[in-house]
Amino acid sequence: MNEQLLGIENVLFTVAMLLYFASMIGFFIFIAVKKKKAASVSYIIMAAGFVLHTAALVIREIGAGRLPMTNRYEFATCFAWGLALVCLIFMRKYSVDILGAFAAPVIFLVIGYAAMQSKDVHELMPSLRSNWLGFHVSTAIISYGAFGISFALALMFLLRDRISEGSFFDRHIPSKEKLDLIGYRAVALGILFLTFCIISGAIWAEQAWGSYWSWDPKETWSLITWLIYAVYLHQRIRKGWKGKSAAIFAAVGFICVLFTYVGVNTFLPGVHSYA
Amino acid sequence: MNLKKIRNFLGSMKFAIILLLVLAAACIAGSLITQGKEYSFYVSRYGERVSGAILALRLDDVFHSVWFIVITVFLCVNLTFCNLIRLPRLIRRTKEAENMRAKAGVWGAWVCHLGILILIIGFGLGQIFKSEYTVYGVPGDMKPLGDTGIVVTIEDFRTDKRENGSVIQYTTDVTVRNLASGTDAEGSVSVNQPASLFGYKFFQNSTGWAADMHIAKDGGEIQKETVCAGDYVAFLDKPDLVVSFNRFYPDYDPENAMAVRTDTDEITNPAYLYTAYYQGQFLGMNALLESEELTIDEYTVTFSDPQPYTLLQVKRDPFAYLALIGGLVTLTGLILAFYVKPQGVQEKKEKEESGDE
Repeated sequence: MNEQLLGIENVLFTVAMLLYFASMIGFFIFIAVKKKKAASVSYIIMAAGFVLHTAALVIREIGAGRLPMTNRYEFATCFAWGLALVCLIFMRKYSVDILGAFAAPVIFLVIGYAAMQSKDVHELMPSLRSNWLGFHVSTAIISYGAFGISFALALMFLLRDRISEGSFFDRHIPSKEKLDLIGYRAVALGILFLTFCIISGAIWAEQAWGSYWSWDPKETWSLITWLIYAVYLHQRIRKGWKGKSAAIFAAVGFICVLFTYVGVNTFLPGVHSYA
Repeated sequence: MNLKKIRNFLGSMKFAIILLLVLAAACIAGSLITQGKEYSFYVSRYGERVSGAILALRLDDVFHSVWFIVITVFLCVNLTFCNLIRLPRLIRRTKEAENMRAKAGVWGAWVCHLGILILIIGFGLGQIFKSEYTVYGVPGDMKPLGDTGIVVTIEDFRTDKRENGSVIQYTTDVTVRNLASGTDAEGSVSVNQPASLFGYKFFQNSTGWAADMHIAKDGGEIQKETVCAGDYVAFLDKPDLVVSFNRFYPDYDPENAMAVRTDTDEITNPAYLYTAYYQGQFLGMNALLESEELTIDEYTVTFSDPQPYTLLQVKRDPFAYLALIGGLVTLTGLILAFYVKPQGVQEKKEKEESGDE
């Protein structure tokens, strides 16, 4: 690893983290002062953080001579990047400014977790030297990002019931129907990419270990996450389940995502312990 | 309850949701409870009462238990009936659809279900019909592949390292002889780069240390074996006497003998950890330097020539391709369901189709 590039990456990562933090504060100010301008500025700050975050990842990739997706720090920073990407896209696509107030804390928590990990660059172990690495981890990042946003939308949905008519939240949080639909879109994106992730991981595992499925804890919890979101998708089209129940399932699904990511690495070591 | 009602329930969304939740719960249990251990392990961890329940419910081997397989079979039944029940309606809707995109989109969930069904069947058949073997040894070793009539010769094993000593790649060169046809095939196996020979796939699985174990009696060598870490050697003229080679320390630190360890991977002060048994009873365990010898009665044991051994996983799964097809069909179904079928139309039609509401 080029030490100079590592230094630049470190600066960019830190500035990106501060920008995400500033964006989170900006969205809180938006709620406090009730000015749309604050949300617009916060969005721009988050976008700026995302650009610098992307630059940090690219520089780390150049410096390390490999994709920055192979240890706890690298996956955590990529996870935060995926969350920011999906958040920015969904805010713009569905014109939901207030989503930032719910998603930015999640992004900041994940990038904060990344900051607490060792940033040392290690050489790739033989099993990670595969063309499948980039595809497998990229799909996990997008999937986790989408599920994170569906979690934020689920929280908004659950809050929607408790707000009084004509209030600031009533004006800025979309209708339940729209939240349900956007949440569904986020889950659809997440489960599609999670399926890509599981299948590419299976193909890779077959090449590396000779077994495409071996009930490793990370594999098993990815399947559990997939099953929970599959229940969400089915429940959502059943009478009486669309809405609050679906939102609760989306929130539970993201708890499974977090356990798959942090819990499995901490409590259930297996062949994915490096991630 | 008539047959139609049973069929409708088996293919219903309600039944699917129950199965998905039970499967998720089973997977949680299977991941949180350590699998495949002895009763004593569970007793030490959970106490006798809980351990009894774990073993009675087969929670010690969830993913191979009968009840887990039954749930999975029910899921297959559910997917099959669901797709059969919906088929006529989907054909009708396809005919009614205005364009190709709409025609294709109608089939999303159906194709996804079909993919999952193929995947489960492929995985299940693979579990039944796959064959797996482990071959390990040092260059020059010739090992039979179970009773397949195939013999594997390890020609070479090398470890490519970077300047800092970290490993880039492990590679084993093998020659495989098919005794039935008398033909040979050569291959090179690396991590992530398996070799396919005579219908079997060879995977570079792991490596470790091997060494030569010399057994002498009255000053003359009577037995010499190349042993890999973990191997047991019974004395030829006294089979009740067994010495196991447990571990190799390339750079043994004698200053830290209480906590046997190695300082580096360079062979500078090699030591061999052994355990001796007589008639199954433990005799002793120690680390033996290359200049030292272990004396048991009239026998002496020494170790020499440490070298890395290679461990290959050899596998044939005739249904792995089916699981792959299933996965790809599932993906196709999801893309059709989420991004080809218009959302508004999808919701309306799915509501109409879910007969168990």
